[in-house]
Amino acid sequence: MSFKYPVVMPKMSMTMETGELINFHVAVGDQVKSGDVLFEVMTDKIDMEVEAPADGVIESLVANPGDVVEIGKPVLIMLTETEVMAFDFGDDNEPVASVEVVAPAPVVETPVVVAPPAPIIVNTNVKAVPKARVEAANRGIDLRTVHPTGPDRTITMQDVNGAQLDPAIIKRQEANKALIAKGIEMTRGIAQASFTRSVSANFDHAQFIAAWAKVLRGRPDLAAHEHIGVALIIESKYGSALPVFRDPDQSSIADLAALVASTTDAAKNGKVPVAMLSGATTTVFDLTTYSMSSATPLLFPNQVTSVTIGYESATTKIVSLTIDLNFCDFYDGALLLDALVASL
Amino acid sequence: MSDRMLTMAEAVREAMSIAFDERPEVFLLGEDVGIYGGAFGVSGDMYHRYGADRVLDTPIAELGIVGAAVGAALSGMRPIVEIQFSDFTAQAMDQIANQAAKIHFMLGGALHVPMVLRTPQGSGTGAAAQHSQNLEPWFASVPGLKVVVPSNPADAKGLLLAAIDDPNPVIFLEHKLLYKIPGRDPVPEGSARIPLGVSKVVREGKDLTIVATGIMVNKSYEVAEKLAAEGISITLIDPRTISPLDMGPVFESVEKTGRLMVVQEGPAQAGFINEVIAQLAGSSSFGSLIAPIKRLAGMNIPIPYAPQLEKAAVPQIEDIEAAAREIVKNWR
Repeated sequence: MSFKYPVVMPKMSMTMETGELINFHVAVGDQVKSGDVLFEVMTDKIDMEVEAPADGVIESLVANPGDVVEIGKPVLIMLTETEVMAFDFGDDNEPVASVEVVAPAPVVETPVVVAPPAPIIVNTNVKAVPKARVEAANRGIDLRTVHPTGPDRTITMQDVNGAQLDPAIIKRQEANKALIAKGIEMTRGIAQASFTRSVSANFDHAQFIAAWAKVLRGRPDLAAHEHIGVALIIESKYGSALPVFRDPDQSSIADLAALVASTTDAAKNGKVPVAMLSGATTTVFDLTTYSMSSATPLLFPNQVTSVTIGYESATTKIVSLTIDLNFCDFYDGALLLDALVASL
Repeated sequence: MSDRMLTMAEAVREAMSIAFDERPEVFLLGEDVGIYGGAFGVSGDMYHRYGADRVLDTPIAELGIVGAAVGAALSGMRPIVEIQFSDFTAQAMDQIANQAAKIHFMLGGALHVPMVLRTPQGSGTGAAAQHSQNLEPWFASVPGLKVVVPSNPADAKGLLLAAIDDPNPVIFLEHKLLYKIPGRDPVPEGSARIPLGVSKVVREGKDLTIVATGIMVNKSYEVAEKLAAEGISITLIDPRTISPLDMGPVFESVEKTGRLMVVQEGPAQAGFINEVIAQLAGSSSFGSLIAPIKRLAGMNIPIPYAPQLEKAAVPQIEDIEAAAREIVKNWR
């Protein structure tokens, strides 16, 4: 059985709300393998290639090159056999599952929504105070279902605050939640777990990246891709850059150290080679520069793990690992962290 | 801190006297401002203190008075004109709207008209339709004029000093009923200015924002104090300068209270206070409103002579109180 899977505009930075589709690397009917580049997108910070999350066939192209697409909105639809990656859009009786996308998509009936924006319900024929409309739109309340108690049958804030959600909307929101849980999106409600351990070993970025890649190499069951791509977050005056080191455990540590050093310099000057900006399968964030011990666990789209290096003392660091429980068992986190610390 | 409680007439006289002392080019002209001391006694003894060269009694000819002041201002003087009743500015409107307001712009900025035109306005004195108007929108709709409407003696003093400093023509509208009553706040000694174009938050509350002008600030304040005892808390904002208008504090307050009421004495139709509503309605603060905007203003009629009708024609304390209570009670 094949599943329809919408490949959506990814969220690539905290401030990103839309991205521009530059071009497609595929056409309808193309067979693609996991990791193949599907299309390129441009944001205010970087250009990025978006890869196929699984093997499959391109079913339809939803957006057009040049379109500005909201994050979470589909760019193309794939057919895939890979159940774990897929949305099931097979049931035509479920309105949310419709993949008929027209551009521009109407706000109320956006068909394939991975990140669920609150449904904006425009109630033109009911009387309501301005803030009640704002509040209703934010909470997904259909004002037509709210009983007005204000003068001239106008809906007041009190009415909206006491309103029950429309059952149809509750159903739609729950359907959205179900979709999200199955998707691989940073914006979804992720089931994740974090593990932390103190490390007194001394290591630089290259050694850490190599060690972490080696640990991951030992767990092919966790890999969604054939390669291992370790993204290292580097802060610069241009914003965060995330250069990706591909299969760093397979080059010599001296070569890797030279590459990490030159890439870090380049990133600080805003000049990361485009080829190094895609293909991440895990992310490393070094917080010791800021003398911080840990940060809110964060998993990037299509990544199952991320690691932070935190500061504890001059001789001790804190390594924290976050895993996506959709893809790992809970104890996997402990095993992975244990293996990582051991190899440091 | 000074604790001097002055009337607005005394505060305005003090501001003029300070300006007279600071700058030799400041002088006062108008009908009966000299020996008589002004129609409402505002200039008082200034004729005797500064002499006939600086406090000029003029003929009954408003167009000529303002024309002379514009000419003097262009020649480097800083005239203060007093027009006995703001209703009479109609006689002088060509000099005000077409000359004073425009000359700076018509001459490519080469010349200034640093003139202040002070004039009493408002109803409540039994002086009937031709001596009781609020003509704020006449002036506020003429670009090139600044328009000040003080609501209390302390503001009147600081604002008038700033108006005399200003290189542009300033219309200074004083409510007659405020001349004889002391303000709530003491009037500071010295020559501190209050900048034009800065609204004043008179009191702060969380349930309702009232924007009022002139004497309506005082009436609204009484209402706010009374309703505070009932648990209705009111923010009161006095724009003080209606042109240029400082809306910032209004936006800020409405975002907190969600309710706006505006109060002016002049007729509702095309009144100045409608500008406050229009700017709020077009701003991003609009989405904060939890109630329709309430406007209290004068009726669209000439001010009647009969005292009961005169009172009924403009908002009174009871009207403001009832409206404030209703908007807070009905819109939650």
